Amino acid sequence: MTETVRFRGPDAQSPQVMVVDDEECIRETMLKLLDSFGIGALTVAGADDCLRLLREGFRGVILMDVMMPGKDGWETIREMEKEGLMQGNIISMLTAMDVPDERLEGLKETVLDYILKPFEPSELIVSVRRYLKLLDRVQSGA
Amino acid sequence: MPPCSIVMIGASTGGLKVLEELFPRLPVLNAAVVIVQHLTPLIDQAFVTSLARVSRMPVMLAREGQTLQPGNVFLAPGGLHLHLVGNRSFHLTDGEKVNSVRPSIDVAMKSLVSCAGQRVAGVILTGMGSDGAAGISHIKQLGGVTIAQDQKTSVIYGMPKAAAETGMIDFILGTEKIADKLVTLFG
Repeated sequence: MTETVRFRGPDAQSPQVMVVDDEECIRETMLKLLDSFGIGALTVAGADDCLRLLREGFRGVILMDVMMPGKDGWETIREMEKEGLMQGNIISMLTAMDVPDERLEGLKETVLDYILKPFEPSELIVSVRRYLKLLDRVQSGA
Repeated sequence: MPPCSIVMIGASTGGLKVLEELFPRLPVLNAAVVIVQHLTPLIDQAFVTSLARVSRMPVMLAREGQTLQPGNVFLAPGGLHLHLVGNRSFHLTDGEKVNSVRPSIDVAMKSLVSCAGQRVAGVILTGMGSDGAAGISHIKQLGGVTIAQDQKTSVIYGMPKAAAETGMIDFILGTEKIADKLVTLFG
């Protein structure tokens, strides 16, 4: 099933952040929050749309939920690695578990950060801005 | 003449945030600072640039054969293990992953050797798992100062907890206090 891709931001051609989360309220909250700080974002409800957008060329910050029906966050990252879709992306995991999933152990080099839900909006924005700066340097080769 | 003093810092998930909070608080230290952060080669240079923006000390990727210089910050490149040779220079290898990672903090810290007249400190920051626990114990056995980040300021209190559980940690500190301690030791 094709899931809805929602976009909001100042520049419809270049969303910088992809939120991957099966919970609609999280997606909507994130979209509004990021938009209110001028950060273009899109949301998808699961791995299939995330991978499709990456194959179509999305490069940016990916805020990836850990627990999702179908492919979960870890499996999605493994698929990204397998398909060579890591380059030019920064990944941070979203999770409600205060004890990190043991599967992070094998992805420590790949996952930059870890955001605990429920998140503090101001802290989320500070984190996303940090990722965007790093991403800009990755993409510019700086 | 003994090699310069060394501060070796290990970090993983959440490391960028913590390092970007730590480095603005540090003056130019009378020690070479070596960072082993779990990362991929895809972002290591950008990581250097990000740290350089907030550090008073020059920050660079460690290169094969490069000599450590006090007042400089060296980041282990993604995808390679970093070893110190005689506590003076870097040797980079692409051997098997250790603790599921390459670079491994344990590999880098355990390559330190005892050297009269040289001061060494090890710091374990945020991250999952236990990489660095064996390495920081090695630093303690060499007579170095050992520090682990506290739970409150860690993004993930895994590696610092594992380090603390070795019983070989001198100080468990928040990010600001880690900076203060390094200034006291090497400022």
